[in-house]
Amino acid sequence: MKKNFFRFGFIKILPIMTGVVPFGAVVGSAAADAGLNVSQTMLFNIFVFAGASQLAAIDLMTKGGTIVVVVLTGLIINLRFLLYSAAISPVLSGAGFWAKIFGAYFLTDQSYAVMTAHETHFKKSGDAIQFYFGSCTCMALTWHLAVLGGSLFGNFAPRNWALDYAVPLSFVVLVIPTLKNRKYILVAICSALSGILLYRLPLNLGLIASAVISISLAVLLSRKSESARMNQ
Amino acid sequence: MIEPTYFWTVVAFMAVGTLAIRGSIILISSTGKFVISDRMRELFSFIPAAIIPAIVAPMVFFHIGKVEWLGNRERLWVLLLAVFVCYFTRHMVATIGFGLLVLYLVTQIG
Repeated sequence: MKKNFFRFGFIKILPIMTGVVPFGAVVGSAAADAGLNVSQTMLFNIFVFAGASQLAAIDLMTKGGTIVVVVLTGLIINLRFLLYSAAISPVLSGAGFWAKIFGAYFLTDQSYAVMTAHETHFKKSGDAIQFYFGSCTCMALTWHLAVLGGSLFGNFAPRNWALDYAVPLSFVVLVIPTLKNRKYILVAICSALSGILLYRLPLNLGLIASAVISISLAVLLSRKSESARMNQ
Repeated sequence: MIEPTYFWTVVAFMAVGTLAIRGSIILISSTGKFVISDRMRELFSFIPAAIIPAIVAPMVFFHIGKVEWLGNRERLWVLLLAVFVCYFTRHMVATIGFGLLVLYLVTQIG
């Protein structure tokens, strides 16, 4: 029997949706609290399709951050898609131009994670592309419905359940698998500490500064390992 | 209240910028003219470690909770526990479920 890879991808990403639903609800209700109406919230969601950056942007816009600061913060948060773009490019290399554009648009932490976890399951590139778009479809449907729910009904979880806590937790599960060795752990600790120490800087500049500091450390550490390799 | 022109300008720049980041390597590598060096690839792989903790750490560190015996920092302590759970189990659903459950229990008992 021929395997339906679109459906396979759709199903394989389902477990991760447990983190996506509460996250979407938080983004939707934050947008509603900030005074954005449902159509503004959903168009923002469709055009940008990157929850963490949307959450940060909404927060900064309510504080009256300048356009440059809001956009720059959002894009710094989304800089991690550079890694995903590099990781997914071999999968989409056989696809047509528009499939590449849509493939890029649908790139998320979740679709990247499920794709890398199943790399070895595909015999031909068409299967991998089907799988990818299957997982992306599930992700997009879930995400938009969750944000819509949050926008319409606020945070729909019972009060005792701090569902907004799913946001930091879902970031944890995204970053931990990328920590391949001690160097990555060091960079992550540096990022966390500088994020806390520089938090009081106005308008989220602390996040931008922490990102710059931590990436510089990564450059330094990876250069060190390269020269160590040369000396062997 | 967020002023509409201001809001849509932010949305437009974020939309274009985010798509550009997402599409960058996919489109560049398909031209065949550029080869992403191993060094670049290695640097890219540090990006989540460099950025995500700086987003998350202040979120839980500055949150004032209600569990006094944890210094009102229950969200920070539970998150550190969840980091260990995730590191050793590598299981997304288990980690999120564990974190939500432990926070719930701690705030109920606390």
